[in-house]
Amino acid sequence: MSVSTRPVVAATLRPGAWGFRLGLLLALAGVAVLAAAIAALLVLGIGVWGNNIPHVWGFDLIAYAWWIGIANAASLFAAVLVLRRHGLRTAVNRFAEAVALAAVLASALYPILHLGRPWLFHWTVAYPATTGLWPQFGSPLVWDFWGIMAHVIVTALFWYIGLIPDLATLRDRTATQGRLGLARTYGLFALGWRGSVVHWHRHQAAYRLVAALVLPLLLSAQTVVALEFATTLVPAWHQARLPVHMVVTGLPSGLGVVLAMAAVLRHALSIERIIDDTDMDLLARLLACAALASGAAYAHEIFTGLVFAKGAAQEAFTARAFGAGAPAYWGAILLSVLLPQLLWRPGLRLRAAVLIPVGLLAAAGVWLDRWSLVVGGLLRERLPTHAVAYVPTAAEWALLAGSAALFGAVLLLFGRAIPVVAIFEIRHEESLEDVAEEER
Amino acid sequence: MLLMGASVALAAAGCDGPDEHGHPLHARPRGADEAASYATVLDLEGLGRGVLARTRAGHAVKIEGNPQHPASLGATDIFAEAAVLSLHDPHRSHRIRHNGRPQAPAGLDAVLAALPATLRVNGGAGLRLLTGPVASPTLARLIGDVLAAFPGAQWHQHDPLADDDALAGAVAAFGQPVAVLPDLARAQAVLCLGADPLGPGPAQLRQARDWSTARRAGSPPRLFVAEATPSLTGARADRRIALHPAEAEGFARAVAATLGVSGLAKGAAHAAAPDIAAALLAAAPAAIVLAGRGQPPAVHALAHAMNQALGARGVALRLIASPFARPEPMAASLVALTTAMRSGEVTHLLVLGANPVQDAPAFLAFEQAMRRVPFTLHAGLWEDETARASRWHVPLLHPLEAWGDSLAFDGTPAIRQPATRPVVDDARDALGLLGKILAAPLPAREAVIATWMDRWGGIGFDDRWTEALEVGTAGPPSPTISPALRPDWDRPGEAPPATLTAIFAPDAGLRDEAQNAWLQELPRALTGLAWGNAALFDPQTAATLGLAPGDEVELTLDGRSVLAACWPVAGHAPGCVTLPLGGGRKAAGAVGTGRGFDATMLRPADGAWTAPGLVVRRTGARASLVATAAPYRADDAGAVPRVQPGEALAPIARGTSLHPDWPYEGRAWGMAIDVDACIGCNACAIACQAENNVPVVGPQELARGRGMHWLRVDRYDFDASEAPAASFQPVPCMQCEKAPCEPVCPVNATVHDNEGLNVMVHARCVGTRTCSNNCPYKVRRFNWDDHRPAMDTPRRNPDVSLRPRGVMEKCTYCTHRISAARSAATLEGRELRDGEVETACQRACPTQAITFGDLNAPGSAVAAQRHDARSYALLGDLGTRPRTTYLAQRVPRDGT
Repeated sequence: MSVSTRPVVAATLRPGAWGFRLGLLLALAGVAVLAAAIAALLVLGIGVWGNNIPHVWGFDLIAYAWWIGIANAASLFAAVLVLRRHGLRTAVNRFAEAVALAAVLASALYPILHLGRPWLFHWTVAYPATTGLWPQFGSPLVWDFWGIMAHVIVTALFWYIGLIPDLATLRDRTATQGRLGLARTYGLFALGWRGSVVHWHRHQAAYRLVAALVLPLLLSAQTVVALEFATTLVPAWHQARLPVHMVVTGLPSGLGVVLAMAAVLRHALSIERIIDDTDMDLLARLLACAALASGAAYAHEIFTGLVFAKGAAQEAFTARAFGAGAPAYWGAILLSVLLPQLLWRPGLRLRAAVLIPVGLLAAAGVWLDRWSLVVGGLLRERLPTHAVAYVPTAAEWALLAGSAALFGAVLLLFGRAIPVVAIFEIRHEESLEDVAEEER
Repeated sequence: MLLMGASVALAAAGCDGPDEHGHPLHARPRGADEAASYATVLDLEGLGRGVLARTRAGHAVKIEGNPQHPASLGATDIFAEAAVLSLHDPHRSHRIRHNGRPQAPAGLDAVLAALPATLRVNGGAGLRLLTGPVASPTLARLIGDVLAAFPGAQWHQHDPLADDDALAGAVAAFGQPVAVLPDLARAQAVLCLGADPLGPGPAQLRQARDWSTARRAGSPPRLFVAEATPSLTGARADRRIALHPAEAEGFARAVAATLGVSGLAKGAAHAAAPDIAAALLAAAPAAIVLAGRGQPPAVHALAHAMNQALGARGVALRLIASPFARPEPMAASLVALTTAMRSGEVTHLLVLGANPVQDAPAFLAFEQAMRRVPFTLHAGLWEDETARASRWHVPLLHPLEAWGDSLAFDGTPAIRQPATRPVVDDARDALGLLGKILAAPLPAREAVIATWMDRWGGIGFDDRWTEALEVGTAGPPSPTISPALRPDWDRPGEAPPATLTAIFAPDAGLRDEAQNAWLQELPRALTGLAWGNAALFDPQTAATLGLAPGDEVELTLDGRSVLAACWPVAGHAPGCVTLPLGGGRKAAGAVGTGRGFDATMLRPADGAWTAPGLVVRRTGARASLVATAAPYRADDAGAVPRVQPGEALAPIARGTSLHPDWPYEGRAWGMAIDVDACIGCNACAIACQAENNVPVVGPQELARGRGMHWLRVDRYDFDASEAPAASFQPVPCMQCEKAPCEPVCPVNATVHDNEGLNVMVHARCVGTRTCSNNCPYKVRRFNWDDHRPAMDTPRRNPDVSLRPRGVMEKCTYCTHRISAARSAATLEGRELRDGEVETACQRACPTQAITFGDLNAPGSAVAAQRHDARSYALLGDLGTRPRTTYLAQRVPRDGT
C-alpha cells in the first residue's frame, strides 16, 4: 500500500471518531423520524399532508424532483469525470457516486409514498397481472417508473463496479489484520478480484460502459419528471422547454451538494492531500458554471413567458414570477444562480466556510424552483378556481427532513464501510507519476 | 358450508327485507319493488312540497319531487333533498327524557294519562300549546279539539321566519289575511320589493319553474328587484336596485305614485321609480308587484294596491285565503306566551316541533320564562335547546316516518304517509300526543282519515283516500278570492332613522335543521360560505369600517352584543348589515353546534326584521370562516357567454386530434345545461350528494380545499357595480371525449366506455392524482380520508359504491341510473326512450335547466339543445370535446 492511500483505508477501517458518531446519531434519529412519518402516512393516509384540489401534489413531487436533480447532477458529474479520464475523478467521483446513490434512494421513496394507496404501487409495473391489465403506457407516470428504476439500477451499478478493486484491497487488508469474517464479506462483494491485467481490462471496459450509460439515463430521468408536468393542460406546466429547464436548473443542486460534502469530508477525514485544493477549485468553478447555465435557462423562461407565451400561459407565468409566486421564483434564482457566482473569486473557492453554505444554499435554491413549479404553477388554472393555498403540514416536513437524514446516514455509512475515494484510482495516478519520474 | 352460507344469506335478508322496513306501505309504489317511490309531503315554513320518497329495501334513501304536486312539479329544493339525511341522523333524539334523564316510555304514558284529569279541574286554564305555523288540517283539527275540550287553554304559533308584516299589510289592504300567488309564466313585468320568488321558500320550485317556462317560451318577464340583501332573484334580475330598508317604503310609494294608485299618501320621488313604473304600465295587466319578507306592512299594502291598479289580479296574480289554519302575528303570540309564563299563569306548556329557546329573540328571555312553568313537554327531532330547557322531552317522528297532512303554498292539500318504518323506536308524533291530552288516543293514520272523512264524506272514501296517497295530492288548490281594497289601505309607516341598520334574514341554505351536514357543507350561492353564517356587509361599508373579509366584529344592538365574522357581498345595500338567522346554535349536535353566530341574540323582542342603531366594532381577531368559492368575473376564462335575441354563438368546434375519432355507433350520452334557466338554488349539488353517496368532509377539511361535491355551481358576476347581475354555471364532469384525465393515468383507472362515458374505476385507482392535475375543469375529487364508516348507513344508495381512502372519484352521469333504465328496457324488449334516464341533478332542477340523453338519437332533446344557437362548450378551445355542453344566457336586446 502506498503512503498516500493509507489515510483513505484508515478512514474506512478505523473505529468511529466522535464527530462521525455524533453525525451518525443525528442522521439515524432523522431516519427514525422518517420511519414515523412513513408509518403515519401508511396508517392515516395522505390526508395528513396539506394537499387539496387543485394542489394534489406538493412536497412529495417537489422533493422527488429535487432529489432526482441532486442524484442526476452528482452522477452526471462522476460519469463525465470517468469518461474524460479527468484528474479530478480520483478524488471526487467515488464520493459523487455515493451522493448520487443516496439521493436516488431518497427520491425513490416519494413516487411510492405519494400514492393514495401506496401498497398498490406495483400496478404501474408491467407484469402479467391476474387482472389482465397492462399499465397505461401513454402515461408519463409509467415512463417515470421506468425512469426511476433505470436510474437506481445504473447508478448503483456505476458505483458498485467502481468499487470492486477497492473492495479487494479492503479484503486483503482485513485478511492480513486477521479479521476473517470482515475479509470474507468484502471478498464476497469483490467478486474474486485478483488484480490481473485481464481483470483490469474488463473492469475498465465495464466501468466506462456503465458511465456512458449513465449519461442518457440521467437526462431521461429528469426529463421524465418534467414530462409529468409538461404533458398536462395546466397553463404554467404545459411547455416544451420544461424538460431542458429541469435538467439544467437541477445541476447546481447536485454540484452544490457534492461540493459541500467534499469540503466537509476532506476536513473530517484529513484527506486534504487526496481531495486537494485543485480539485476543490475545479469543483467550485464547475458549480459556478452550472449556475450560469441555470441562469441562462431562467432567462429563457422569463423571455418566453413574457414575450412568446399567450393568454393563460402568460398569465400563469406572470402569477408565478411576479405575482403571489414571486418569492419562491426569485429566491430560486438568487440562491441557485446568483449566489454561486461568488465562486468566480479565487480566494473564496478554497474556504470551506464559503463552499459549504454556498453549495447547500444552491441546492436549497433548486428546491425553491421545484416549489415554484409544483405549487406556484397552479396559481393560474384554466378555469378561475377558489384555490385554497397549499400549506405543508408537519408530516410533510418530517418526511423531507427524514429523507435528508436518510441521505446523510447512507453517506456516513458508505464513508465508514467502504473507501470514500477510489484507492485504485489514486494508485493509478501515483504510478503514472512514478513512471514520469523514472523517464526523467 | 353451503348450508351455513345459505342460512347467513337468509338471516341477512330477514334483517333488510321489505317486511322488516315499512312494508307493506300504504300506497301502490311507483316503479319496481326494488326501488319503490312513495308520494308524501314535506313542509317548509309550514307549507308542503309534494315529494316522492325513494326507498331501497325499505329504507328511504332519496327524495325526489312529485311531478303531480303543484309545489314541486317533479323538482326538489335543498331542504327536501336533505330531509333524508335528517331522517337517518344517528344524532336524532332517541330517548324520552325527564329532566334530562332517559325514561321508559311507560313513565311518559302514565304522566300523559293523568294530564287530562289534572287539566279539566280548572277548564284547562294554564295549558298552552306552542307549535310552528300550522297548515295541516288534521293537526289544526286536533288543536281545535284541545281548545274546545279545555276552554281555558291557548294555542300559540311561533316561527322565527314568519312574515307578520305581510299579514299586517294584507289586513290593512283587504281587512283579511291573503296569500299572493304570482304567475311568473304569464307576467310580463315583475317588481320585487324585497321579494325573492326564485329564492328558497315553499313556493320556490313552482315560481322558478314558471319563470323559466316563460324564458324558454321567449317571453321572459322583465324582472325588477329592489332589495337590501342580495337574493337569487336579484342575481337574475334584469334590473336590480340596492335599497336601504329605510328607503324601501319611499321607493314603493314613488313607484305607486307614478302608477297612479288611488288613495295614496304623498311621498317623495325616487330616481329609479319612473322607469320601472313605465315598464310595469307597459306590461299591464300582466305586471305584478311582490313585497317580500322583511318589508314593513305599508310596503305590502302598497304592493296590493299597485297590483289592483295594474289590473294584475286574475291575469298574472291571484289571491287566495291564507293556507294557514290560524294566520296570526306570531311574534306577538310568542310575546303573549312569554308574558303569561313569566307571570305564572302557565302551568302546562306543550311545545310541538318548535325550538323557541333557540330561535326566539334573546330579548324575550323565553328560556327563563319557560323554566318557571311547572310542566313543560317538548316534542322534537333533536335534543335541542328547547329540549334541554323542558322537563319532558319526547323524540318526534320525522315527517318521512309519520302520518299527517299538509297544504301547499297555493292551498293544495296532500296526505303525508310514512315512507319507512320509524328509525327511532320511542319516537311519537304530534297527533298522538294531542290525542293523549284529549284522552282519546287515536293512531295518527286514523286521525288523518277522520279529518278527510269529514271533508269527503264516507261514500267512495276508500278510493279517494288511496288515490290521494298514490298521486300525492288530496284535492285542488284553494279557490281565488277577490277581496276589495279598503279605502284607507295606505297607512304610511314612520321612516326609520338612517343609522347603520341590522337586517335579519333567513340563512340562504339553512332553516331550523342546523344538524344537517349536507346543508351545512353546501356553499351558499351568493356568499360561497359553508359551515356557518357571517354578517353580510356591502363592500363600501366594510371598507369604511376598515373591515376585511373574515374579520371578527362585535355587533351591538340595544346593549346586547354578539361576535360575528364580516363578509362583504357585492350588491348589498350600503348602511345596513344582514344577519342571517339559524347559526350559532348551542345544542345542535356535533354538526350544528357553534357554526357561525346567533343573530337572534340581537333581534328585537317583537321579531322585527330590521333594527336601526347597530354598532359594529372590529375586534382585531380573525373569524374562522369556510369560504369555498369567490364569484368570478365576466372576463375570466369560462365565463358564461351572453347572447341577445337572434344572436348565435359559433358552433362548438371539435378541434383536431392526432388520434382517429372513436365511432360511437350506439348511444352517446350527453348533457346540456341551460345557464339561462339556472337560478343557483344548489338543488342539483345536494341531489348529486344524496344520490351518489358523496361524503361530507366537515369544516376543517372543506376549508383546506378538500370538499367532495361532484357538482359545483360557479357564479360569474357581470357587473362589478353595486348591483351585479350574475350567471350560475353548474359544473359536473364534462365527460370529455378527449378526456385529458385518461392518458395520464398510469393504471387505466379512468377510461372511456363504448357510450362515451368517462368512467372512473375506483377499484383500479392507486391515487396518483395526476388525473386531477390534468382536468382543466377541476371536477375530480380525491378521498383524502376514509369516509366509508360515516357513509355506511341505511341512508346510502346501494346502487353506488362507497369509495375507499386514496382513490379519485367524480360525476358518473349517474351511470347506475343508465344501467337500471337499460335493464328495464331490455326486460320489456324495447329501446330506451328519450328522457327515460334522468340524472339526479336533472331530476332535482326546478327550472329544468339540465337535459340528459343520447346525442346520437335523432330528435332527442339533448341533441337538439346541442345544436341550439346558444350552445357552447366550457373551455371548448382546449379540444377536450366535452359531452356536457351549455346554453348561453339570454339578455334583452337593450341590455338592461
